[in-house]
Amino acid sequence: MEKDLKKEVTKFGLLATGFLVFYFLPFGSQYVQDAIISGFTMLGSYAREHVLLCLVPAFFIAGTINVFIRKDAILKLLGPDARKIISYPIAAVSGGILAVCSCTILPLFGGIYKRGAGLGPAVAFLFSGPAINVAAIFLTGSAIGWEIALVRIVGTSTSAILIGLTMHSIFREKGSGGFATQESDDQISWPEAIGFLALQMTFLIVGGLAIDPVVKASILVVSAGAVFVMAVRFKGELRNQWLSETWDFAKKILPYLFFGVFAAGIISSALPQSFVESLLGGNRLSSTLFASVFGAFMYFATLTEVPIVQSLMSLGMGKGPALALFMAGNSLSLPSMIVITRLLGKKRAFTYFGLVVVFSTFWGFIYGNLF
Amino acid sequence: MKIEIFGSGCPRCKQTEKIMKKAVEELGSDAEVDKVTDMMAIMEKGIVSTPAVAIDGKIVLSGKIPSIDEAKRLIKG
Repeated sequence: MEKDLKKEVTKFGLLATGFLVFYFLPFGSQYVQDAIISGFTMLGSYAREHVLLCLVPAFFIAGTINVFIRKDAILKLLGPDARKIISYPIAAVSGGILAVCSCTILPLFGGIYKRGAGLGPAVAFLFSGPAINVAAIFLTGSAIGWEIALVRIVGTSTSAILIGLTMHSIFREKGSGGFATQESDDQISWPEAIGFLALQMTFLIVGGLAIDPVVKASILVVSAGAVFVMAVRFKGELRNQWLSETWDFAKKILPYLFFGVFAAGIISSALPQSFVESLLGGNRLSSTLFASVFGAFMYFATLTEVPIVQSLMSLGMGKGPALALFMAGNSLSLPSMIVITRLLGKKRAFTYFGLVVVFSTFWGFIYGNLF
Repeated sequence: MKIEIFGSGCPRCKQTEKIMKKAVEELGSDAEVDKVTDMMAIMEKGIVSTPAVAIDGKIVLSGKIPSIDEAKRLIKG
């Protein structure tokens, strides 16, 4: 009953806010009109350039990873007996395979911390998990540039390892007990799963290349055809799972992303350039630090960080602050801070938040000034 | 028989709960279906990917939504 009432109050709040916005916003003014047009223009360019060749294949890949790739083998490398030299790098990059969606990060983090390789690797995973995924990397590359996409992977995974090692050296905690993994046996074989994944990756990568259109189109058609043929030959139950997981991702991510793109379009018209430049411009230490702290508190729904950073960069944000915003923005937000504090306790959690800001600023500053 | 569904309340977990309940109903089983949403309790169990399903305390499924047939198989043991 209590919960129902809260839900209704929230709905009322949303409706009332919408009403007030539409009541008071001066739609006749040039400023507001420009901002709205800019929002739609940006939606248009995302729909044309990034949906078919980037996001759709990325969702299929996420579905494939979720259904066909066995996770227990990777989890074994993060168990209580794992050696440091293996567990840290694996924790830093396995987000791409273990956690295709941010809602699966926290249970994995908790498991690695309490029952697996301990606090250090768990924190490494927590930091990089949300950023190291196929969709985020490819959308960053195709919307902003491949250099920053690459730096984003490298910066995130190395900082993850360093943050994890620092946390471990301060608190020295190991987990014990191991994981409860249980996966059904009606799976396809490893080679088949890898091949299926590789075909989809080919489609995604070639889709983003600027090569001869005829070559490109033929590779795309062949790989898509091969994926289709393989999928038809799977057992029905498995194929349905694959399609429903893929659909699940699209359903969960796209509405927020479209909203984020629209908001990013509005920002790029409504925020004065001088304002962005003074806070985030250039590659100064102060603007990089500001970007890290802002990113740490601000909540970005999956992938929405990309259009937002794109808009801010068009208004003069430097690439150092952009990298810092990517790194801190993905791994922390005010809501996730609250959960992490509850799981880790104040001392550990605040140390972690501090390290995230320090390392994001550090990498952002280096990247902004050296490249 | 006691069936527990572990999950933080995400849509996938809710769907798993719905399917397990439906399977129990269709089988005419007297199993009771409980939901565990507390993150700490989920961690204590060593569950790393949700949704997860435990039957009489033993984890039988983790990290995916079962199909209705799979759910029935699990309940029948």
